[in-house]
Amino acid sequence: MDAISALMDGELDEPQAQREVVRLKSDAELRERWDSFHLIGDAMRGQGLLSSGFAESLSKRLQEEPTVLAPRRSTRQARRVTYALSAAASLCAVAFVGWVALSPTVPGALQAGVTPGSGVVATPASASMASVSSEGHMNEYLLAHQGFSPSTAIQGLAPYMRSVSATRAPEGR
Amino acid sequence: MRIWTIVLLGATGAVHGADSGSQSEAFAWLKKMANASRQQNYSGTIVYQFGNQVETSRVVHFVNSAGGEFEKLEALDGPPREVVRSNEQVICYLPTAKTVLIEERSRNARNFPALVPESMNGLSDSYQIRKEEVDRVAGYDCQWIALAPRDNLRYGRRFCAELGSALPLRAHTVNDKGEPIESFAFTELTLGGNFSRDKVKSKYAEMSRAQNWRIDRSALSMAPSTPADTGWVLTSQLPGFKKLMEAKRSLVGKTGAISQIVLSDGLAAVSIFIEPMPRVQAAQALSHQGAVNIYKRPYGNHVVTVLGEAPAATIMQIGNSLELRPTTAAVQ
Repeated sequence: MDAISALMDGELDEPQAQREVVRLKSDAELRERWDSFHLIGDAMRGQGLLSSGFAESLSKRLQEEPTVLAPRRSTRQARRVTYALSAAASLCAVAFVGWVALSPTVPGALQAGVTPGSGVVATPASASMASVSSEGHMNEYLLAHQGFSPSTAIQGLAPYMRSVSATRAPEGR
Repeated sequence: MRIWTIVLLGATGAVHGADSGSQSEAFAWLKKMANASRQQNYSGTIVYQFGNQVETSRVVHFVNSAGGEFEKLEALDGPPREVVRSNEQVICYLPTAKTVLIEERSRNARNFPALVPESMNGLSDSYQIRKEEVDRVAGYDCQWIALAPRDNLRYGRRFCAELGSALPLRAHTVNDKGEPIESFAFTELTLGGNFSRDKVKSKYAEMSRAQNWRIDRSALSMAPSTPADTGWVLTSQLPGFKKLMEAKRSLVGKTGAISQIVLSDGLAAVSIFIEPMPRVQAAQALSHQGAVNIYKRPYGNHVVTVLGEAPAATIMQIGNSLELRPTTAAVQ
């Protein structure tokens, strides 16, 4: 149980994490608990997203879908997104599909195209990175940054909405 | 959204410097706006919009007889949260997590950097500043001021300033396609009123003490005249962005001093944080919060976090151009 929450918080080293992932794969009850932990986390952040048992019912429905024998579209985009996620998230591939489908539009998503001639040199390796919502994980940095922004000076306290956009205890303890 | 595109196209299509009268007038409006945000007494309701999300909050701002500035922001949607600013201190009350986040600056760092209007001198190199139409927001007439970026390193901005007080009633950030990515707007506003402690005090102030909420403190204490040398340098300079400050500071959840470098083009600011690599290795990642893009990148035994209200490509370029100065690297 503790190991599961440690895995969720990214506190395990790689061999430990792999062991827990194997356990998760083989133990349905453990998976249910994993889902619950995430639900609790989402609820605490004020994001009521998926009902419990969502992963199970979605995967059941996916199994019932007929197999389409057609050339597959490139999945490069999906792989880019997983890059920014933890290893634990990729094991919940089914839940992940739901996450992608339900996530709001990504205003900061980086389009690789940078206008030539502007003196801007894009770094090819990183230009294909997708941007995910910070979900409150960066609040302490945002708070430390805001006071230096001239546009904050123009707008008063309102931009601090970003620093408290999702309630979440800071990491590290 | 369509109107936006037209307005921005119109702004960027204009010949550089053709309308200098309008530009200097728009400049004056920006200065008045910054002063109004500091000096006006007001209370109102603000709607903050980014992506598909909308959050409403209550804001009050009062200046006391000694010239002290007090502000409070109270989230009305979602989990309750309050932000209180009194001069050099910002306190966030997060009741669901029973946590108080405090960001402090020493007294001598209070008016540093001298933001607007001094930093506006370089602004016209990066933006075309225009006075546009008069509009109406929250029952008040207001003047639109647009800042269209001269390159794709920054976002476009529009502010609508109340005609009498110059308080900004609406603010928009738009990307290079003219699409709004973040906006703030008053839906209801009362100008004026007198300072009283109760108006600017958090309703969680007493509760947090009585219930022993966790207090997480970040602090920046520095004398503006003696900026710290963190040993980190930017190998390439992005046009328009100048270094505003460099300091060692503490940050919630991080042990020991971490480095912060702030760059600004006079409107947008980008912060670079450098900290020792945590036990769990940080991977390269890009995220965002409203118009703020955030880029994390491992660098040897350090993690570099770059964030600011600028396009992701700009934030990443700054992050990728950061290096430990060779002499410093040799010592470490």
